[in-house]
Amino acid sequence: MVDVKKVAIVVSEGTFDKAMMSLMIANTAASMGMEVHIFHTFFGLKLVTKKANPKAPGMYRLFTGMFKKKMKAVGVEDYSAQKKMAIELGVNMYACGTSMGVMNVTAEDLDPGVKILGAAAFLNIAADTDMQYFIG
Amino acid sequence: MQKDASLDAKGLMCPMPIVKLAKKLKELQIGQVLELIADDPGAKEDVPAWCQRTQNELVETRQEGNVFYFYIRRKV
Repeated sequence: MVDVKKVAIVVSEGTFDKAMMSLMIANTAASMGMEVHIFHTFFGLKLVTKKANPKAPGMYRLFTGMFKKKMKAVGVEDYSAQKKMAIELGVNMYACGTSMGVMNVTAEDLDPGVKILGAAAFLNIAADTDMQYFIG
Repeated sequence: MQKDASLDAKGLMCPMPIVKLAKKLKELQIGQVLELIADDPGAKEDVPAWCQRTQNELVETRQEGNVFYFYIRRKV
């Protein structure tokens, strides 16, 4: 490909909708031959941990199961399957080092392949991207 | 339309038809044509956009009811 477009995504919330939105954009972009970088910070951090199991936000939390079922019915696999797909497609996943300290997440808690970064390192990556999304 | 492989993405919604299309087309040789069948209403715009962006050729599009048939030639 002549011109590889680059995408930077920041995810600061850990709810099901934010989680799915970031990975649906990421997996589509990667499928279009784009280079994708996702920075997980604050409540978004727990999405890149092995125990990640995002729930729908607020009062919709109770309907998480129904959302998941409906998404599965249209072929959109659950969050862990989407995450596995993202890694297969070469999406770069980052964890915010500061958030790890705040949220008591250790390097062992993170999914394999997730890189720990600070803001400067992520901004350095984002500075060379064509598209930037904030999902929070 | 002559085709070398077919991918049935009926019942799947965005982004799955595109993710599966990208994966499947890589299995074909350059110059071969993949038939993609989809009923996601977004596919009508998504598939041409994907082809344009990835520089593969959308040879033909056909619609039967709410089902789209796309014929995509692998160029890269």
